Amino acid sequence: MALRHFSIELEELHELLLKMASLVESSIRRSVESLVERDKELAKAVMRDEPAINLMQVEVDSRTTRLLALNQPVAKDLRFLTATLKINTDLERMGDLAVNIAERTIDLLSRPPVKPLIDIPKMAALVESMLLRSLDAFVKVDADLAQTILPADDEVDALRDKVYTELVDLMQHDPAVVPGAVDLIFVARNLERIADHATNIAEDVIFLAKGVDVRRSVVRPALG
Amino acid sequence: MRHFIEELEELQGRLLEMGTLVESAIHTSILALTERSEAQAQQVLGNEDRINHLEIEIDELAVRLLALQQPMARDLRFLTAAIKINTDLERMGDLAVNIVERAIALMNRPPVRPLVDIPQMARTVESMVRKSLDAFVKREPELARSVLTSDDTVDRLRDSIHSELISFMQEDPDAIPQALDLILVARHLERIADHATNIAEDTLFLVKGVDVRHHLEPNF
Repeated sequence: MALRHFSIELEELHELLLKMASLVESSIRRSVESLVERDKELAKAVMRDEPAINLMQVEVDSRTTRLLALNQPVAKDLRFLTATLKINTDLERMGDLAVNIAERTIDLLSRPPVKPLIDIPKMAALVESMLLRSLDAFVKVDADLAQTILPADDEVDALRDKVYTELVDLMQHDPAVVPGAVDLIFVARNLERIADHATNIAEDVIFLAKGVDVRRSVVRPALG
Repeated sequence: MRHFIEELEELQGRLLEMGTLVESAIHTSILALTERSEAQAQQVLGNEDRINHLEIEIDELAVRLLALQQPMARDLRFLTAAIKINTDLERMGDLAVNIVERAIALMNRPPVRPLVDIPQMARTVESMVRKSLDAFVKREPELARSVLTSDDTVDRLRDSIHSELISFMQEDPDAIPQALDLILVARHLERIADHATNIAEDTLFLVKGVDVRHHLEPNF
């Protein structure tokens, strides 16, 4: 293979990562839509897309590794490549979580609805907005935008707790709804975990933009 | 500047230190659950910061070695595997903390009947974690492969625990919060097993240069 210019390869890697991100974003959106609309075919479509996401993850990983090996990236390019490794892992996990939601949906569709869904779609809207903003922040390398995602994570956690309390109450009054309510508790948890991964991406963007590691509020200077 | 090989050894040493801490956190979290022990729970919570700091240290060391050296072939594979294994170990530590959170919630309520198959599931998962780390240290592909097989056993145990607890909740609505906590514990254990599987897959990649994730067969 001809050795192409490093910056072209970086650009292509960036595009591949964004392509993967847009598929993951679509999986999350469709998984919640399949739940709300009780649409089994849509849930199955989300499950069918999983192998494509997995293949992209492997491809992003191997290209990143090759770029690290064949070049000697420093400073900003090195930070971009390490952020890519991390964001890639987060995106793939988010894709898995969307598949988990689709699986719970298929289980839920075998029974009558447990309750009208209000807070779960609210959580989903919040989580999707977090993901879109974190990706936008990544594209623009915008630390300020990334910073706005961190507080939304607490809102998602609060909604998850609310969903949990309501569903436990519902189950205690009507044991027949137990299996469906447990599925919904898991859907809320999956959404909360997607929000955690969006938060990770936002933290990686801050690291990328400023060269500081904000994970767990440990702020340290950049390497190199 | 020290020799590259020494730095790689240092990195492996740090990863093992982290592996030992995480193994102990998982083991202790299950003791906290089965023995309803506040002291064991506090021990796991007390170690969380150490694990989180180690993750950042290992990440920085691995990135520095990637940046300052120009690792090729096997060393490069080791560094990329180290970055991944580090992430997995930190997530496993978080999951042990999640188990402890459930254990504490359970201690504050009356005990429910024996903990279904959770202790058995925990033993299987702990053995997977041990084997995956051993396989990584000794670069033993056969040991790594045995971890991949156990993952299916863990998934089956999780499913049977799940359905057992669903029936239990329907029979005894007062015990619903406890049963939900136990369902979550089973789920956390299953995810710890997934991360051990990732470590085994990274070990296979490291030893053989073959990516076995997502059960993709390489075509060389």
